Amino acid sequence: MATAPQDWSDRSRELSALLARAAIGDREAFARLYDRTSPHLFAVVLRINRDRAQAEDVLQEVYVNVWRAAQSFDAAQSQPLTWLTSIARNRAIDSLRRKHAEPSVRPAAPTDDEEHDVYDDLADTAPGPLALLGQASDARALSHCMEALSGPQRQSVALAFYDGLTHAEVAAQMRQPLGTVKSWVRRALQVLKSCLETAVVRDVSAEKS
Amino acid sequence: MDYSRPELADRLAAEYAAGTLRGGARRRFESLLGAHPALRSAVRAWQHRLMPLTGVLVPEPPPPAVWQRIQSRIGGDVAKAAGWWARLSVWRGLTAAATVATLALGVLLALPEAARPPVVVVLAAADGSASPSSFVAGISADGRALVTRPVTPVALQADRALELWSLPAKGAPKSLGLISADAATVLRKGKVPDDTAALAVSLEPTGGSPTGAPTGPVLFVGKL
Repeated sequence: MATAPQDWSDRSRELSALLARAAIGDREAFARLYDRTSPHLFAVVLRINRDRAQAEDVLQEVYVNVWRAAQSFDAAQSQPLTWLTSIARNRAIDSLRRKHAEPSVRPAAPTDDEEHDVYDDLADTAPGPLALLGQASDARALSHCMEALSGPQRQSVALAFYDGLTHAEVAAQMRQPLGTVKSWVRRALQVLKSCLETAVVRDVSAEKS
Repeated sequence: MDYSRPELADRLAAEYAAGTLRGGARRRFESLLGAHPALRSAVRAWQHRLMPLTGVLVPEPPPPAVWQRIQSRIGGDVAKAAGWWARLSVWRGLTAAATVATLALGVLLALPEAARPPVVVVLAAADGSASPSSFVAGISADGRALVTRPVTPVALQADRALELWSLPAKGAPKSLGLISADAATVLRKGKVPDDTAALAVSLEPTGGSPTGAPTGPVLFVGKL
């Protein structure tokens, strides 16, 4: 079951309370926070760093970091799931930096670790980034705004955002010049921003009328 | 580059949140976040816009071993287990500052009994950072008067206020009132609770916490 986009805000209150209690050293609250959020964060990390052992290390670092930094979470400024997801994405992207220094060849034969087998299957059947963006479009405002993007804009943002690809990697995958891809991504983000801002304004004026 | 230019700040924040800002540029951007509130709020806005996209990923429960490793990591953090206000490192090494603070507060506090000096507490940045800002608080020996003073003025948004809390060794924090971010505040409302183990300053909406418990981040903390 994927987290339905509308749940994103609904879960805020509960997660904020758990984070606030974790901030004053409440281990039970922190354990509940982990139960509630780690499947989502693990999915986010795995999508970017597909090496399962490394993804587990990243997730571990994320939660140790959250435990130490929980007091800096400000519920008035951020939604808890947004805050947690951002931390996880940052760590995952950083782990790619280190990984690139190593050979990126996958072992030809399955290791003796069962989880690797399971994951290798999963990786092949996982929806592509563009399909994911289409599903994300179920969220009301995002749905509307995704339609404002051109096909190449949408695909380049999806590859960069979901899979953590660099501009150069997106360019290689899409067989397009680097400069073209850079301007697609930049333009797509700007279109999303102004469209989401208009969507908020529209919501507010709809409530007033 | 001039990071105070709003369009540039917004573009970098977008690429940071989207993940396309990489390598040295990403690290440089991260190192600037601490000092640039405008960059931080641009990043927050972009994270708010983009993170819901991850809502469609199929959740993948991590293996139990991950939680066990996390527990053993944070289990070693004994100070945290005793409550974040008990972290000695926060105020260790601040003795010199406390001496200065005693002199500074001497003029503010009417000592009820000459033989019993006021208790002076140095409240340092709660995140353990080497932030230059801190608060000093003095509590008169009978606990009836309390004075706080920022060592350096704290910059606040217009709709925010600082609230002072008494933290008992066990139980919930108790509000001691709102304090000024840039000047001394004298609180005489009542007695500071006898079981106060530490003082903390949290960031709250104007008028103070609506819930009676700290709602914003704890900015400063100091043990008695």
